[in-house]
Amino acid sequence: MSGKRKELEQNKQEESMTLLGRSLLTGFIGGLFWSSLGVFLHLFNFTEISPSSFVLRSWVRAGWTDGWLGDVVSILIIGGLSVLVALIYYALLKKNRSILVGLLYGLVLWAIVYYVFQPMFPNIPNVTELDRNTIVTTICLFILYGIFIGYSISYDYHDTVIKENKAKQEEEEEAK
Amino acid sequence: MKKSPISGKISETQKYMETKIGVGTSYDVGFREIVILKTKVQLYYLTGLVDSAIVQELLKELVNLNDHEKNRKKVPEIIENRLLHQQVDPIKSMDEAVDQMLSGLIVVFIDGEKFAFVVDVRSYPGRSPEEPDTERVIRGSRDGYTENVVENTALTRRRIRDARLRHEMLKVGERSKTDVCISYLQDVADDGLVQLIKDKIEQIEIDGISMAEKTLEEYIVKRNWNPYPLVRYTERPDVAASHLLEGHVLIIVDTSPSVIILPTTFFHHVQHAEEHRQVPTIGTFIRWTRFLAVFASLFLLPAWLLFVLDPSLLPKGLSFIGPNDEGNIPIVIQIILGVIGIEFLRMAAIHTPTALSTAMGLIAAVLIGQIAIDVGMLSPEVILYISISAIGSYVTPSYELSVANKVANLFLLIATSIWGLIGFVISVTIFLLFLASIKSLRTPYLWPLLPFNFKAMVNILFRVPVPLTKSRPSIVHPKNNYRQP
Repeated sequence: MSGKRKELEQNKQEESMTLLGRSLLTGFIGGLFWSSLGVFLHLFNFTEISPSSFVLRSWVRAGWTDGWLGDVVSILIIGGLSVLVALIYYALLKKNRSILVGLLYGLVLWAIVYYVFQPMFPNIPNVTELDRNTIVTTICLFILYGIFIGYSISYDYHDTVIKENKAKQEEEEEAK
Repeated sequence: MKKSPISGKISETQKYMETKIGVGTSYDVGFREIVILKTKVQLYYLTGLVDSAIVQELLKELVNLNDHEKNRKKVPEIIENRLLHQQVDPIKSMDEAVDQMLSGLIVVFIDGEKFAFVVDVRSYPGRSPEEPDTERVIRGSRDGYTENVVENTALTRRRIRDARLRHEMLKVGERSKTDVCISYLQDVADDGLVQLIKDKIEQIEIDGISMAEKTLEEYIVKRNWNPYPLVRYTERPDVAASHLLEGHVLIIVDTSPSVIILPTTFFHHVQHAEEHRQVPTIGTFIRWTRFLAVFASLFLLPAWLLFVLDPSLLPKGLSFIGPNDEGNIPIVIQIILGVIGIEFLRMAAIHTPTALSTAMGLIAAVLIGQIAIDVGMLSPEVILYISISAIGSYVTPSYELSVANKVANLFLLIATSIWGLIGFVISVTIFLLFLASIKSLRTPYLWPLLPFNFKAMVNILFRVPVPLTKSRPSIVHPKNNYRQP
């Protein structure tokens, strides 16, 4: 019960949150959610690569990174990185209404992570060396992740704009 | 449409009624002529739709006029005065008279007058409110909507005695002239939405809507082959009233107890009144269990099939999953046979009279289930997973959603069986993208998950205590956001 209360108090603060704040929150939660799914899919051997092989095992060689702690820490780190991803979308693309933009954003992110940044992660083999299952699974995951962040921010942006326009209209009508 | 006025001569009126309505031919059209103060007065009504007790009272009162009144110049005034009923309206055209009569009012023509009186003596055949079969709760109100729109608006009004609650009546159907009622809170519901719905209903051109709200739904939101339900139905007035208070719009169609709630998202279909009848903690528990069941009805079978096809996917701890003995038929075929078998049973259960249902249960459980295994058609594990998935779909509160999920389930199964893991992953992605791209009345279907809305999502994941829900959900774009003034 008390846990639930606390969350509701968060809600109250959230009401006063700005569009930017909400977008960053979306990014954070999107990062947590989809990287958790990534860990889950790795557990069931859908992909050879788990989120922790990126953000942890490439730099840290300690034994705990292989266990559940490594997964939790990497999920949190990806949550943090996702705030950045959301910020970039917010800055550049928020005016696009279409769900496709989010999809493309996800694809571009995948390409960046697996092609451009690949040399940064010594632990991750070249794309050409990955098996088909891994490639398909990760691409799908990135597409959903991109849509989650992109579509949410765009929808929220347009929703807020509509609300503001309405408020303005009403003010103008009152002025008349 | 040209309106034909009421002719002064009663013989012409009678002829009109005989040719147009079939007085004398049509069995259910009643006609009675009486003479009051030497003036002919004719009454027309539908025998099945009027309350005969009231009609007799009216007749008695009218005939008594002959004994008490003498002033022959004021016959219409006297008659109007003596039609002892709270709803008496004068009308001027024959079309109106016919319309009113066909909806169960009694029309009184007076010789020599160019108007007629209609008296509301309606009494429709129907049942009294009962608890709806599909939305039972353990505690709480047991009344449900009926087939009568007047009773339904009354049941809603009983729960919201607000001056700002609007029940707007429209008529749909050139022949059926079905009453359609749009209910909303005037100062809460989004004007744009109400106007949009009204426009869509007014544009409908059809002879009749015997399938009531279902036909209307297809005109309002659905024009393609999308299997997912885009509106929510309820037969419970308390559910309807709580949605009204949130800023939703209701559409009540006469002749149907199912009321449409607009706008709706996917997550409206996985909620049920029961969880709001329990302590928030229990409500949350019920909700999570139900989410799990709905999830299982969608993904359990395809995922299991995937692990059967490729056991190397399973982590060490779960390697016991999968049949020890493959059986004589490929697993995919077994699953599809089983799923279709369950559908047979479900459809049979709908039509089977209660007296035969025990026999049907026996056949289903013992004969089909057990013997299918003994013969070697199905392996026991297939039956286990099919049963869990079937129960999951029965747990889904919205019947429409459970059937749509079944179709999606089959789609995932087939994709998985053909392309294995890649088919599974891609088909799940396509499925999610498809759901996310659906919009009903400008509302994204997967809201608040996709597009994500933190506050609303918390409200879905947890059954939040009522005193703490201070604002209305943003998806209805309420004009007034605060629930606790």
